[in-house]
Amino acid sequence: MKPIHFLAIAAALVVLASLPVWANQGVTFIVGLALVEAVFALSWNLLFGFTGMASFGHAAFFAIGGYLCGAGLRYATGVPFLALLGGAGALGALTAFLVGLVALRRSSGIHFAILTLALSEVLRVLIAYSTALGREDGLSAIPRPAVNLGVARLDLTSGQSYYWFLLVASALLAWVLWLVAKGPLGRVLQTIRQDPERAAFMGVDVWRYRLGAFTLSGAVAAVSGALYAPWAQIITPDSAHWIHSTQPMLASLLGGAQSFWGPVIGTILFTAINYATRTLIGLSEIVIGVVLLVIVLSAPSGVMGLLRRFESRRNRPAAAAGGGARVRAATVPTPAGEA
Amino acid sequence: MLFTIINGLATGMAVFLVAAGLTLIFGILKILNFAHGAFFMIGAYVAFMIVGSNPPSLWLFLLASVAAGLVVGALGFITDRTVLRRLRDVDEAYMLIATFAVLLICEGAVKLIWGVNYASINPPPLLDDAIIVGSLFIPTYSAFLIGFGVLVYVALDLAIHRTWLGKLLQAISNDSWMTGLLGVNVPVALTLSVVASFMLAGLAGGILLPNQTLSPVLGGSYLLLAFIAVIIGGLGDIRGAFIASALLGVIESASSVLLPNIPGLATYVFVVVFLLVKPQGLFGSAST
Repeated sequence: MKPIHFLAIAAALVVLASLPVWANQGVTFIVGLALVEAVFALSWNLLFGFTGMASFGHAAFFAIGGYLCGAGLRYATGVPFLALLGGAGALGALTAFLVGLVALRRSSGIHFAILTLALSEVLRVLIAYSTALGREDGLSAIPRPAVNLGVARLDLTSGQSYYWFLLVASALLAWVLWLVAKGPLGRVLQTIRQDPERAAFMGVDVWRYRLGAFTLSGAVAAVSGALYAPWAQIITPDSAHWIHSTQPMLASLLGGAQSFWGPVIGTILFTAINYATRTLIGLSEIVIGVVLLVIVLSAPSGVMGLLRRFESRRNRPAAAAGGGARVRAATVPTPAGEA
Repeated sequence: MLFTIINGLATGMAVFLVAAGLTLIFGILKILNFAHGAFFMIGAYVAFMIVGSNPPSLWLFLLASVAAGLVVGALGFITDRTVLRRLRDVDEAYMLIATFAVLLICEGAVKLIWGVNYASINPPPLLDDAIIVGSLFIPTYSAFLIGFGVLVYVALDLAIHRTWLGKLLQAISNDSWMTGLLGVNVPVALTLSVVASFMLAGLAGGILLPNQTLSPVLGGSYLLLAFIAVIIGGLGDIRGAFIASALLGVIESASSVLLPNIPGLATYVFVVVFLLVKPQGLFGSAST
């Protein structure tokens, strides 16, 4: 990691950690939601940006984790919170594994996208039908938990303490995903994205790696949902709606799907635009739409691609000046490994 | 039972009217147009502005639908020039995000112009009746929808497979570079097909107006079913989309009779099973 990236991450962590001290509760709440969405987007982009699979039903995993955690906190008060988080991850992984087992063999590309979309809609319809899960109204008044660490007991019932827990958990999940993406596994996945046929030719078991990535991604998405439930204190069938599935896609593409941190940048931008335009009915959609459009039209590789282009231009001003660099940056996706 | 099927066919034709434009633009430009539903909605609002809540006559209603088609077609031209055209050579993922952005802009514009209130529209005279055959009760509007859906299908099928322009578009869809070399003005043809697709969306908005309550969320409701019809029918295949739409409509209608508490479940289960069994769509090959 370059020093400048390290500095950027450290600065972001300091700002985020000190947030409850200087910002009001409303802002803290929104930033907490953004943290959850950022992890969710990272989990999606492990599939899209690193393995080349577009899941259009990722919100299903989010909902699985969210409902498991919400129901656990409400009905099974004896179960420790960390076990619920682990359970959400395990259930998400299991679901993803079973779905992937069938879906990845039978479909790819756009068919895989629509297949996952239809499956997530099935889940949403079933949740909205289940009385135990609150039908259309969802589970509300989800209590925030206390975590027993053996030596000490962390009481997370206040908004502030849960926010810090959320921050630590999100950072840990992001770190794990970063290790995976930058490690040998990530390299193999990128090979598959760039050319599955050639990867298979080199002896990579493409199907098995895809299944692994899908399982891991589902698990992380479920944990992000599980973190969300006690933060918002309500979870509704809308969390499994396909519109929610488009959220990580938009964040990833906006921030730059070829870069590991792109989805996080995208989520931050989305949250900021949403917050800035929250009082303007109708206008907020137009502003978000126009910003998206401008970014896509002017920087097809997302914000991270734009930053990288500036960086390379600064480093070698003579060679990269002019249109040549622009065309190259737009047509040849930079491998994510360079970030 | 028969009533359920006819009802389902009417729903299916409604889906097809939206899916027709979607599959047309997909077949030629290879993009999934998220904004299609939004333009369908704009068509509905334009027609609503002309006829109001109680369309005075059938002819005015049809005229309003055609006007909606023209207005949305013009919007399609603008969208093509400002957005789609710049994205011809970009990865399809960015097409997706661009059309999603257009969708957001359209929804915002609809909220600004027409407000967030609901409006419901009655069918025009002559279509608010019912045909009664023995014990069978068919709303005229359902019969009209089925007839209109078939009409649009036949017209499109003929236009694509029998006319000079349709064959040209097929050639472009197959290999746009080669077709360009042969002296065809590919950009103009592409713009034309975009405009045609948007006109279909606007027309569908007008025609389907009496079927639903008008609100800014209308765009999403048909879009998903239309997407599914396009995929099941085989991408870019008008005939496939037509049959898939009819199938989806009948399944939806049957499930609302058999499983009234779980709306939509049967449809999505069908989609999942279908994609697993026959991922290439109804008629085998994935290309047109």
